[in-house]
Amino acid sequence: MRNRREFVKSIAAAAAGLSAAGGFTYDVLAQAAQGAALKRREVSIGRKRIKVIDAHAHLNIPAVADVVKGTPYERQGNAAPDEIIGPDRIAAMDRAGIDMELLTQQGGFWYTVTDRDLARSICKVQNEGTAAIVAKYPDRFMGMASMPLQFPDIAAELLEDGVKRLGLKGGGISAGVIRGDKEPSGPEWDVLWAKAQALGVIFFMHPGGETGADAHLRGKGNLGNTIGNPLETTIFLSHLMYEGTFDKFPGLKIVAAHGGGYLPSYLGRTDGACVRQPDTCSAKKRPVEDYFRTQILADTMVFREEGLRHMVAEMGAGQLVYGTDTPFPWPVSVDFVLNAPFLNNAQKEQILGGTIMRLLKMPAAATA
Amino acid sequence: MGTRRDFVKTLAAGTAAACLGSRWSDVLAQTGAPKRREVSIGRKRIKVIDSHNHLNVADVARVVKGTPFERQAVTTGDGIIGPERIAWMDRDGIDVALLTQQGAFWYAVQDRGLARDIVKAQNEGTAAVVAKYPDRFIGMASMPLQFPDLAAEALEDGIKRLGFKGGGISAGWAGAKNLSDPEYDVFWSKAQELGAFLFMHPGGTNGNGDPHFAGKGALGNTIGNPLETTIFFSRLIYEGTLDKFPGLKICGAHGGGYLPSYLGRTDAQCRRQDEVCTGKKRPVEDYFHTQLMADIMVFREEGLRHLVAELGVGQLVYGTDIPFGWPVTPDFILNAKILNDAQKEQILGGNLIKLLKLSPNTTA
Repeated sequence: MRNRREFVKSIAAAAAGLSAAGGFTYDVLAQAAQGAALKRREVSIGRKRIKVIDAHAHLNIPAVADVVKGTPYERQGNAAPDEIIGPDRIAAMDRAGIDMELLTQQGGFWYTVTDRDLARSICKVQNEGTAAIVAKYPDRFMGMASMPLQFPDIAAELLEDGVKRLGLKGGGISAGVIRGDKEPSGPEWDVLWAKAQALGVIFFMHPGGETGADAHLRGKGNLGNTIGNPLETTIFLSHLMYEGTFDKFPGLKIVAAHGGGYLPSYLGRTDGACVRQPDTCSAKKRPVEDYFRTQILADTMVFREEGLRHMVAEMGAGQLVYGTDTPFPWPVSVDFVLNAPFLNNAQKEQILGGTIMRLLKMPAAATA
Repeated sequence: MGTRRDFVKTLAAGTAAACLGSRWSDVLAQTGAPKRREVSIGRKRIKVIDSHNHLNVADVARVVKGTPFERQAVTTGDGIIGPERIAWMDRDGIDVALLTQQGAFWYAVQDRGLARDIVKAQNEGTAAVVAKYPDRFIGMASMPLQFPDLAAEALEDGIKRLGFKGGGISAGWAGAKNLSDPEYDVFWSKAQELGAFLFMHPGGTNGNGDPHFAGKGALGNTIGNPLETTIFFSRLIYEGTLDKFPGLKICGAHGGGYLPSYLGRTDAQCRRQDEVCTGKKRPVEDYFHTQLMADIMVFREEGLRHLVAELGVGQLVYGTDIPFGWPVTPDFILNAKILNDAQKEQILGGNLIKLLKLSPNTTA
């Protein structure tokens, strides 16, 4: 039996690429100061150079500070240095072998804004800032729109604006930020799901943290994150299935963070409950795995090879996308996928980039 | 791609027995007792033990009469053990059931004397069922966990006086408290000293009151139950309780909640923020290879395969949640292509025979 020290060492060794992200900036800057050239890792499978796309990467836009100045959200507008995209992020990507990132906004404070115009202005600045990053580094980044989900009509408007005017690829959404007894499966959000379906764009769903505010999640283990994050995603996807939202909008595609929460790893109870109580499943039209083989995708952030094997078995490699949660230093280098013995080369390529390129209708050629 | 109707038909055909829960009295009245199914693997008759099987004790009504808990006593229905339960077990091929109390109302009782009296009635009623059907049932103590000292006392009384093998516990009822709090050391210490087997079944509180669990899908159960177990196990791991009491053995209901199926984030969090993991001494899988066990209620063969890969066959036990009609007959194990015969026997009964020092003989 390994002790904890050995265990941590083994994880660290296996994941040295990206897991160093927390201390990365300083290493890189130190190297740069010494004039050391940083070599970009180019990932190949067999002899084929493949394009690695990180579907789960965050940013913040400093210009938000100007929008929220003098409002109750003034202190929320401060972007942390590692969330601002610049040479440090590029260097971290180079070292990790990540060719492109699909950027979603870090945080979720704008979901609490009750003034419609302010909410719109914040998201617009975030989205224009994201588009500016993409314009500056077009071969390294793609952007996703942020939206004020508390106002479904504005969310739909900003999704369209982001896609049509700013060239963004879809939208980033949270669920736990929706207050009280409302759920994104409620009919008032149909306008947003309909808009995404009409535009043919995907969503990246990342938990917003609200579900973690529970007395039982205090203490060690950072349970508000460790449990709260997959829980929020589990509740969100369960509502969209059980309430019939996915059936109503069959073109809706959602990529869910952190291995899609608990559900892809624990699918059985969802339909088990229907066998026991069919009356609670009257709106859901298909077996649970159908949703996960068509409309729901997940990133690979489950950290264990056996966990990844299980997800591939339940969802298929074509529903999984590589993701890192950059700039947060989780141990999730590309080697997690490259070294997985149960994946063939085609599946590895799908997960590391092929699936998201297909979803985003990108040309297949690598631009590295 | 199967339609939903096909899917439900498939599941129902495979699991017809379990779904008939509330109609056993009708079955008995109309067609008499079913033939007892005797499960064999190869040519070997094996003892099938259901680790997850609930009862109610009608005598509790006497104890709570005139108290605010008067309406909580269950005196009729599927939870009362009698010929209907035996018929259900016979038909499914379950030889022995480990009985835990259904419900959790006694955790809300504030009066020490009343709480003690309720679990005493429950435990003595359970012992009476075991005495009546000694070859079919094994008893587990109920305990007023809101009073850790009384819980330790009730566990000891159950094991020493009433012949139980351990106790049944819940976690979500505890308000702001957690079972990883130091005041529960007296209870964990007693369980370790007695070599008790603890079966953890969620008490439902996490699901109630959360508006996000409203709507279709019975989410308070579908999500709330595995969530409560996930929080409970996570706390015992991260807060160091399992390291402090290395002799503790706890089996989590419903595949042990989400954690056994989603182990990775627990240690990855330590890699990201090691300061939040100072109470935990071992990698997460070590706890699940030694002290934590799970029943097999994950309903999908691939889910079972994943549990076997992560926990090992020796940590898994058959469970049904009877009298609730979940689709989990022994065929879920018997038909699993991923298991060899020895592994099937372990899960269906062998692990509990060894752990609880039971006779491997079937009396059928």
